Amino acid sequence: MLGLLSFSFATPSGGYSASTFGGSSQAIDRADMEFKRAIMAVREAEAAGADEDRLRILVEKLNSALWMIDRAEILLLQGDVVGASAQAERSIEISREIVSDAVKLRDESVQSAYYGRVFTFGLVPVASLLVTAGAHFGWKWWRRREIDRTMRMEIRGLKERKEEE
Amino acid sequence: MARLSEDLKRAVTIFISATMVFSTLAYVAVTPRPREQFYQIYVLGETRKAERYYPDGNPNILVGRVVRWYLGATNFMGSVQYVVIKVKLGNSTIKAPDDVNRVPSPAPVLLEFKKVLMSNETWEFPFVWEIREINADDGVIYPTVFEINGMVFRNSQVGALRGHNFRIVFELWSFDPESGRVMFGWRTGVERRVAWLQIWFNATMPGT
Repeated sequence: MLGLLSFSFATPSGGYSASTFGGSSQAIDRADMEFKRAIMAVREAEAAGADEDRLRILVEKLNSALWMIDRAEILLLQGDVVGASAQAERSIEISREIVSDAVKLRDESVQSAYYGRVFTFGLVPVASLLVTAGAHFGWKWWRRREIDRTMRMEIRGLKERKEEE
Repeated sequence: MARLSEDLKRAVTIFISATMVFSTLAYVAVTPRPREQFYQIYVLGETRKAERYYPDGNPNILVGRVVRWYLGATNFMGSVQYVVIKVKLGNSTIKAPDDVNRVPSPAPVLLEFKKVLMSNETWEFPFVWEIREINADDGVIYPTVFEINGMVFRNSQVGALRGHNFRIVFELWSFDPESGRVMFGWRTGVERRVAWLQIWFNATMPGT
């Protein structure tokens, strides 16, 4: 995105009243405000854990809106008031679309994150039960094996003693 | 009965211990880890490496001589960020940005590059510039017309004696949600940080 601004980039051509320029300039200011609102909305969606691919689409739209504001400023400097206003209005439209999409995405993400947390914490007692059952039956199996081993050793000892006699 | 109660006691102990361990794991899994928040800004030479910043290694830039750099920024803030890189033209007397007080350079802005960056995204683009016109006034040289990335920019304020020690300053500005404005540097918690770069050059008149 190339911002304009230079020490003197271009001078507006004559034929436009100050109020016409003022109107365009106001449209650019509004576009700038809407753009900032759109950024905040996207950041809220991101903080709610929005999907990266869907966020990327919103960021691309943000960059389009930003490009249009830049373009409007350049056109205004070149004296194309109508073109500048049109670009600014289009940027406002895109920014509003972004806000609306971002709010939807945020709500979806909040819900999905909630279900994700419920699922994760819901797994805790299930996993604990599995571990408990595993430990219980493992302990029983090991104990039986040890008893059998001891019994076998004792029987073998008895047999050896009998053979010696 | 005694046997059963012993088994039950053991099972309850294991269940409680396992619940504690798994709860901790679940908490760690759903809680985002705090990390350092910062930006990276860089300028590369014509080979896209940190070398060959001047044509033929000569910092004396002649009128019409094209200089190609690559300018880049990476967002390590952990969230979507609106970034502005301000390009300023300075000389040896105009102050550089102040790292301690986080004040930008008072040098006039040539142009701005703006972009919204995803978390961890790197934005790199060519910065191709040349001095198109130059004026000399009592030994002070003014590069009056620049062409940057195909666009023409005029300067009438910044000059330098014999054309020595001009600098192009790149400052990183970012959108601050608290104030709703674009500010020099960025906030990370209660701290504020800044990032900027500069490259020096001499503007030389043809035939000197």
